[in-house]
Amino acid sequence: MLSGAKPGTGHFEEFLAHPALLMLRAWRECGDFAEFDLGGMRNVLVVGADPLEAVFRAPDDQLSAAEAYQYMVPIFGAGIQFGAELDMERQQVKMQATALRPDRMKGYARIIAEEVEGWIRSWGDEGELDIHHEFKELVLRTSTHCLLGAEFRDKLSEEFGALLHDLELAVSPSSVLDPYGAEEIFARRDRSRARLAELVTHVIQERRRSGASHPDMLQVFMEVEYLDGSKLSDTEIVGMVIWIMFAGFHTSSNTATWTAVELARHPAHQAEVAREIDGIYDGTGALDFAALREIPRLERFVFEVLRLHPPLVTLMRRVRRDFEVAGHVIPAGDTIAISPYVTHRNPAYYADPERFDPDRAYPEHVFAYIPFGGGRRKCVGNAFALLQVKSIFCALLARYEFEGVDPPESYRDVMPSLILQVSEPCRLRYRRRAR
Amino acid sequence: MRVKVDLELCQGHALCQEEAPEVFRVLERPGTYDQVSLLDEHPPEALRAKVESAARHCPNRVIRIEED
Repeated sequence: MLSGAKPGTGHFEEFLAHPALLMLRAWRECGDFAEFDLGGMRNVLVVGADPLEAVFRAPDDQLSAAEAYQYMVPIFGAGIQFGAELDMERQQVKMQATALRPDRMKGYARIIAEEVEGWIRSWGDEGELDIHHEFKELVLRTSTHCLLGAEFRDKLSEEFGALLHDLELAVSPSSVLDPYGAEEIFARRDRSRARLAELVTHVIQERRRSGASHPDMLQVFMEVEYLDGSKLSDTEIVGMVIWIMFAGFHTSSNTATWTAVELARHPAHQAEVAREIDGIYDGTGALDFAALREIPRLERFVFEVLRLHPPLVTLMRRVRRDFEVAGHVIPAGDTIAISPYVTHRNPAYYADPERFDPDRAYPEHVFAYIPFGGGRRKCVGNAFALLQVKSIFCALLARYEFEGVDPPESYRDVMPSLILQVSEPCRLRYRRRAR
Repeated sequence: MRVKVDLELCQGHALCQEEAPEVFRVLERPGTYDQVSLLDEHPPEALRAKVESAARHCPNRVIRIEED
């Protein structure tokens, strides 16, 4: 067991302050199977790629995601994801994947490119901005547009963003222990969710009335069927919308922010990536899906960002039947913690792991690099996420170069919620490139 | 070359089918993830670039290329 446990609460306080750093300390002190205690809930952090592969391949009736993530149920709603039975949840994940299939992605690529163009139109030749704030605004627009259509994005994305924020605040480390407690954040979560449901239900009903079809994700949710031929109820559609926003919004905006910061901190790499983009895009008009498909330098750069700054630092599974791996038995009742943040800092796979180096050799082992998780529960939006980040940076780097306003080491990983982000304010300066 | 896929990890995103429809077809599986099926386990050299591209674009990294 990790040192420093307090009577009654264990390592919970330290977890509250910064989950990623707690787990990094646990691994450094205890190795590849590091035990820590969250208020009586015994956790085992699993780090090595081989044991991780066993964890990711284990069946749900042995290692359960649903039991570990019950704190998401008041966010997404009863009957959705981990509030539904396993076979229903699997069908719902497949519906999410259907909304993200290659044929739909081409349309989203167009939407994202248009949004990015519109967003930088007023930038002028140079300036300074809080890039995290900017990317939150931008990704909110691209997400609401791809998800709920142009009209919703024009009228309601601001309110939608504020309501979503209330839901995010309620995914606090404290919710892991009890998401139905008396804290004000939980009461606010429930009010904001009710308002979100109202907004989305209104769009659904309008569409039913008009009979019009739209090229967005909501349309997919309105049309797909369960195995028995039934469709998602309006309540379930609301849950699907909140779920996909949750999966994609902060994760993408934080990744874009860290990408911009790392570009600013590494001017030589920034220049190389910009040169690569010059070869495929002249900075006029919108990029399409085909052009965004293969941009190796930019991709390697983003992969390295996701290695050091994976937005989700903890994934969890509850052990339902004793789980034996590499000679260790993790007993039923324990929680297995998986941390991309820690796994990606393992010198067994990454030489000098804290060094940002997009040209570094990456391990062959699929489970040594897990920014999107792995196995049958791997993030189904990962291709969409990469498409979006690539689209943003093609448009930006074709026109501008970036540099830090504050000292490089002042941009840090912080964790005000369970999602990793850059410390605030996150100021960068931009200047139009000479071409 | 010989192509292998890890069906336990495939979620049926179908990007491989976009890249190399001669080799990969994603089959509908009602109630669970769709899944890739190999049309040709030993594709001709002429398709190498397409197959490599499919492996690279697979979101779940389930495609492996081995040399015969």
